[in-house]
Amino acid sequence: MALIAIIDDDPDILDASTLVLESKGYEVVTASNPKDGYAIVFKHNPDLIILDVMMDEPDDGFFLAQKFRREKIQTPIIMYTSVSKTIGMDYGASEMVPVDDFVEKPITPDELIRKVEKLLVNQVKE
Amino acid sequence: MENQKPHVLIVDDERGLRLGTKRLLESEGFVAEAAENGAEGIRLAKSNEYDLAIIDLKMPDIDGIEVLKAIRKENPNTVCFIATAYASFDTAIESTKLGAYSYIPKPFTPEELLLQLRKGYEKRLLILEAERLRKEREERLLEIAYEKTRLKTIMDSITEGALVVNRTGELVMYNSGALKYLDLHEIFIGDVILEILPVEITAIIQKFIDSETYIPNSYSTQVELKPNKELVIEATCSPVPHTDGSLAGVVTVIRNITESVKVEAVKSQFVSMVAHELKTPLAAVIGFLKIILDDEVKVSPEQQKDFLKRSYTRLQSLVVMVNDLLDISRMELRKAQREIKELEIDQILKSIIDFLEIELQKKKITVSLHTDSPACRLKADQNEINRLFTNILSNAVKYNKDNGSIDINISNSGNYLVTRISDTGIGMTKEEKAKLFQEFYRVKNDKTRGISGTGLGLAIVRRIVDSYAGKIDVESNPGEGSTFSVYLPLSLSK
Repeated sequence: MALIAIIDDDPDILDASTLVLESKGYEVVTASNPKDGYAIVFKHNPDLIILDVMMDEPDDGFFLAQKFRREKIQTPIIMYTSVSKTIGMDYGASEMVPVDDFVEKPITPDELIRKVEKLLVNQVKE
Repeated sequence: MENQKPHVLIVDDERGLRLGTKRLLESEGFVAEAAENGAEGIRLAKSNEYDLAIIDLKMPDIDGIEVLKAIRKENPNTVCFIATAYASFDTAIESTKLGAYSYIPKPFTPEELLLQLRKGYEKRLLILEAERLRKEREERLLEIAYEKTRLKTIMDSITEGALVVNRTGELVMYNSGALKYLDLHEIFIGDVILEILPVEITAIIQKFIDSETYIPNSYSTQVELKPNKELVIEATCSPVPHTDGSLAGVVTVIRNITESVKVEAVKSQFVSMVAHELKTPLAAVIGFLKIILDDEVKVSPEQQKDFLKRSYTRLQSLVVMVNDLLDISRMELRKAQREIKELEIDQILKSIIDFLEIELQKKKITVSLHTDSPACRLKADQNEINRLFTNILSNAVKYNKDNGSIDINISNSGNYLVTRISDTGIGMTKEEKAKLFQEFYRVKNDKTRGISGTGLGLAIVRRIVDSYAGKIDVESNPGEGSTFSVYLPLSLSK
């Protein structure tokens, strides 16, 4: 079964997401800050990364995603977003935001599973 | 004037002719007066303005030419005739040169005289009408000049900028506000101003001019004249119609909206920060609840209870944050509703220490309080001072290490009461210190991860200190603890 890395500084979000993914049989590793997040991705080489956009700084998630891509880590990334869309700071995937999909908080188990499955299937095809 | 009878002065030394002429004229609808010599003629002309005068050229006392000069000098609009039996070409020329209207050779028939006088009277009426029109025009010009000065005074007294262009885009009128807000040094009436104005404004004015007919709508635009919101104006352009309804020009009113734009930006940034801070705990709680309610996701009873407990904690912190936000928004209002009374700062600090007792015991932190005895009195609102020091002291506990200490020192320094609160906590870097008093800013690192807070405590502290015209200093180094020094003015005016 696939391994998923979740990087978010909110322990409640980490635990809730972990439970949802584990209940579908995925293996999960977590980190609660960008530094540890970078480390677990290197150590475990996950099949998918879930990354919160805003941790210590408002754009930590973006920087970490860019860093992965710069270092040729092509693992699919789902980005957790919060209020950015509702306050008009709308963004989509782009060179600046090198991620594959977004999940808006609060997280719905169905939606999370659906997006995770879609990206993992794509990866298998490649 | 035509209905009035023409007044005629007859100056002639020859009695028969004088009286005969008078009678003739009176029977023909004139009002006539006669003078028997030059001196009498001049005297009458000085006391009355006659429409017409018939002056005999040769009189024993004063020459007719002199009488003519005198009458003309007195009333230049009196139409004068020179009558003489000694008709000569030279005297005729001389008398008309001196302003006589015409020349009547003696003897004359009644018809000849009447014809001349009627023509002369018509001339007199024309002269008077021309005079009236000239005066009226002079008055109007004065009025316009006065109106112009008044308009300029009014225009310059308006704090907003205003400028008017005509249909060819030339500057017709402007005030000093227009120069200031458009950031222009010099413009002149008649300048083709459309080439100088910001393109956003020019575009609107051009639209009015191009449409040629008068459209009674106004259009506004915002222009950032200097970058980084240093000068932002709002220009409102309205057409100015002629009395016949065609377009005369366009008036542009310019308002400096820099301050309100800045306030708006701060406000909207604050609102989005608040939205984010409120949504974060809500997202966590909703996430837990969704999992518990979702039949697909298996949750053990222990896990369920754990999630509910954690949800409860998050919601509690949310309530604290909402209360902090309410306090911040009430801060301005409170300033007006303050209850200023003499406070003993050391007593307030002691009660806060009691309030924090459980936390202090948990981490085994010791607190010491030093005061210069007369230093502790201050006039202020008790709730605000209590809140101020509670926020600082609870940080000194939260960010302290186990078995640490807190040292409080109260003293007077100049005009200030200085309260110095030192802890032996984790301290902070220069960068962290710089952001410390911003709303929602929290130092985030490995050491602070387990510490909860709204990020509003010190923002509230800063607002309270500012509202008392006080100041606050922070000295800190990572790992070496922090010292907060609160300076509150001793002589507080309400």
